Amino acid sequence: MTTTTNRLSTDRNLRRYDDIRDLLPTRHDPTPLVRLRHGTPDTFLKLEWFSPFGSIKDRAAAYLLDGLAERGELDGKELVEATSGNTGIALAALAALAGVKLTVTIPDGVPEEKKTLLRMLGAEVWETPDDLCPVDHPKDGAIALARSLVNSAGGDRYVMPGQYDNPDNVRAHYETTGPEIWAQTEGRIRTFVAGFGTTGTITGVGRFLKEQDPTIRIVGVEPNPGHRLPGLKSFQEAKQPTILDWDVIDEVVRIDDETAYARTLRLYREEALIVGPSTGAVVAAIDRLDPNGVTVGISPDSGLKYLSYFADMLGDDGTPTI
Amino acid sequence: METAATTLDTSGLLCPLPVYKASLVLNKLDPGQVLELICTDPGSLADIPALVRQRGDRLVKAEEREHQQVFWIEKAAL
Repeated sequence: MTTTTNRLSTDRNLRRYDDIRDLLPTRHDPTPLVRLRHGTPDTFLKLEWFSPFGSIKDRAAAYLLDGLAERGELDGKELVEATSGNTGIALAALAALAGVKLTVTIPDGVPEEKKTLLRMLGAEVWETPDDLCPVDHPKDGAIALARSLVNSAGGDRYVMPGQYDNPDNVRAHYETTGPEIWAQTEGRIRTFVAGFGTTGTITGVGRFLKEQDPTIRIVGVEPNPGHRLPGLKSFQEAKQPTILDWDVIDEVVRIDDETAYARTLRLYREEALIVGPSTGAVVAAIDRLDPNGVTVGISPDSGLKYLSYFADMLGDDGTPTI
Repeated sequence: METAATTLDTSGLLCPLPVYKASLVLNKLDPGQVLELICTDPGSLADIPALVRQRGDRLVKAEEREHQQVFWIEKAAL
């Protein structure tokens, strides 16, 4: 006897999904591109917080884990990764689904909201100052700590996805983010702007777009040393990731914290975009560029993980003046 | 010398793990209590005294044994 089942499986047209991972963006199911109403004309933000675990790092985390699994490097191991939060959150979500333990080393400036989310998802969080090693080390305490866990005695139980060095990070953006932007702008993009962090986004998207049209301008956004813009890196104080490809980058714009946070506030009040502070840095950089047609900036995450930072910035703003 | 309140053996651990773990243990000690810290990473010879200075604790004694460095660190008063 045969039985037939009427299982309600994934149907993207109905937005019904078998698995939360089916919501990861693809060329056929991209994150939204939204035009800014104010500022440089023909500017769009790609809202990466519409991804299931809340940031652009969902793409990299999925590719990093798939790469480890395909190469058999994940078998029976625990994961350890240095992250400013978003990669950790995406890895923690995917690791929870895969039943794999994750340890995250995280700079101590990261907001409590991100650390709490990581722990909610079952990750073990090792918080560390950037200048952890008091003697003669670069300002990358979280990265150094993750590496030492892997390289120390007993470290063979860990595997590190290594988002700063792993080409799968770049491939995620070369195969998804880049083609999405090209399709969503119908090939009319002239300028692409993204922050410097792991540099997976700017290298992957930049490489893809340059292959379509080498005259597309690729712009990186770099914060100042000692900044308070989670996810971004100043290469004046941090080591450059090995995956960074300067050949696809035409310009770097430096943005200070005050400008980034002020621009973030304007995005809330002029555009009703509930974005994180690195989006403010990206749009502040776009403000400074000569306009030359369609511009796409990356909005890596939403503002919900930075409410404690925003409360500090606002002070009495928005409370009654009696 | 005062008896150590606790011992942390970081044998086999590379920098910055000994510094990180020592900081966590020292944070939990009461002022005046002593941590006995065993390290095998040669970098600890410079890192641990620097950590102690940075935190404002007191290095009571340091001893080099074969393939091992042992530090006794007294937590500073608040």
